[in-house]
Amino acid sequence: MILTYRKTGTSLRIGGALVALLFTASAPLTAHADEEDDIQRQIDIQKAGASDLEHLDRSHAAAPDLQRLRDWLGAAWDLRNKHASDEAREVLERCMAQAELVRQVIAAAQLKTQVAEREAKLASTKAETDKKKKALQDAQIKKQTLDAAVSK
Amino acid sequence: MRSVSSRFIRWLAAPPALALWLGACATPPKPTALVSYEDLKRDPGMEDARRRFPDLVGSSDQYGDRATKEWESNNLEDSTRAALLAEIKLKTALARNSQEQSKARLQSVTADQTKADETLASVDKDLASVTEQIKLMEKNVQAEADKKRLTEQLANDQKRANDERDKLSQQLATEEKRAAAQLALRTADTVEAGKYAAAEYGAASSMLAKADAEIKQGNWQAAQASLDVAKGRADRAAELSKPSYEQAAQATQNKARDEALARDAAALPGVAVRIERRGELQRLVIAIQDLFGRSQTTLQPGRDDALEPVARLISKYPSYPVQVVGHTDNRGKPGELIALSQARAQSVFSSLVSKGVEARRLMVSGQGPNEPIADNKSGPGRAKNSRVEIIFLYH
Repeated sequence: MILTYRKTGTSLRIGGALVALLFTASAPLTAHADEEDDIQRQIDIQKAGASDLEHLDRSHAAAPDLQRLRDWLGAAWDLRNKHASDEAREVLERCMAQAELVRQVIAAAQLKTQVAEREAKLASTKAETDKKKKALQDAQIKKQTLDAAVSK
Repeated sequence: MRSVSSRFIRWLAAPPALALWLGACATPPKPTALVSYEDLKRDPGMEDARRRFPDLVGSSDQYGDRATKEWESNNLEDSTRAALLAEIKLKTALARNSQEQSKARLQSVTADQTKADETLASVDKDLASVTEQIKLMEKNVQAEADKKRLTEQLANDQKRANDERDKLSQQLATEEKRAAAQLALRTADTVEAGKYAAAEYGAASSMLAKADAEIKQGNWQAAQASLDVAKGRADRAAELSKPSYEQAAQATQNKARDEALARDAAALPGVAVRIERRGELQRLVIAIQDLFGRSQTTLQPGRDDALEPVARLISKYPSYPVQVVGHTDNRGKPGELIALSQARAQSVFSSLVSKGVEARRLMVSGQGPNEPIADNKSGPGRAKNSRVEIIFLYH
């Protein structure tokens, strides 16, 4: 039993040393994998964001910029797959800026649409007002005519 | 020979080498991203964006400068990356600037909309008011028109009624005048105006016919005038005819009466009746014999009754003047005989008066033997001559 223990203890020490050696050797690899996972996660998040933005862009005002974003996200993915993490992160940063640009373009387009709608409504109101003014003018003329007819 | 070839080869290789050297030293073409960025910088909203978003535009400028430097340093990839970021920042600034402009415009449009709504509401209100007034006025005008129409209709109805009434009145008046004219003609007929006033009667008939024609044409006024003329002519015809007709009628009547008298006289018992003309007068002579005894002047007993029918006859025909004339035969002196005949006539007169005959109708006389009706030589002749005659005189 003691022998077994000794043997076992030796084995354990050897095993432990091997594990430690493996761990130490694989540390940079693990860190690298985490980095790529993070990049992948960020790409996924941005892709989802791009889909959301595309959904928001009803007027397709930001279609070219969205396409560019998707292209860059594809490029980032390719870089990530090539384990070029630094380049991938640089592209991702640009993608984030591009996504912000898309958001602002969409917001600007929405506001323009809103302005156009309001202006159309205003124009309609003015047109209706002009029409009513004309009707009022005609009615006043008719009234004067009737006044003249009644006073006869 | 070798040196010449070597020099020739060097001379040939010199230009490409120079070109390669110059190419290595020259600035490379601008990256597309940098060109796009520089184009974007010329956007009209650029200055506005810089004023509103200086951080973003400043950051873009920094990236742009970097891109230019990297390009000038021939680091095209870095230049492209920097230019892309510069473009993104600038585009973002421009988008946000656009948003601000849109917001401002939206605010302005909203304010304008409020004013336009107010204006529209005001115009609507005015229009509704005027429209309401027009409706009321139109109702008034319509009411006036209805009133006028009804008044005109009423006037027309009234006029039609008046016309109808006038027409009926004219018709009635015409009918009355026609009846009057016809009556006048019938009246003229009663005096035989067609016979005694042919011209006037013919004119009246013609005018009546003319009036009938005018009535058919509805020319009431003319018809009335014609009927007035017809009536006048008919009246005139009647007036003209009346004397002639009455005269003729009287003659006829008298003749009939005379004939009746003659019939009644002939029916008397115990008397002789004859009719004779003396001058213009007709004489119905009733000779009564045997009333008196010889030379007597009073009626024989019982003979007074023989005068009763005669008295009734005289009373029945009261318009005739009556003579009571006594006659004798020729036996005796003429003067005495005349006196005798007068006395006898007076006796008969008295008897008749006593029987109800008006005395003033009777004229008494005695002719003696002057008017014998038979031969005095014989007894019967003398008896016939000795008589009293009741004589009805007429034309």
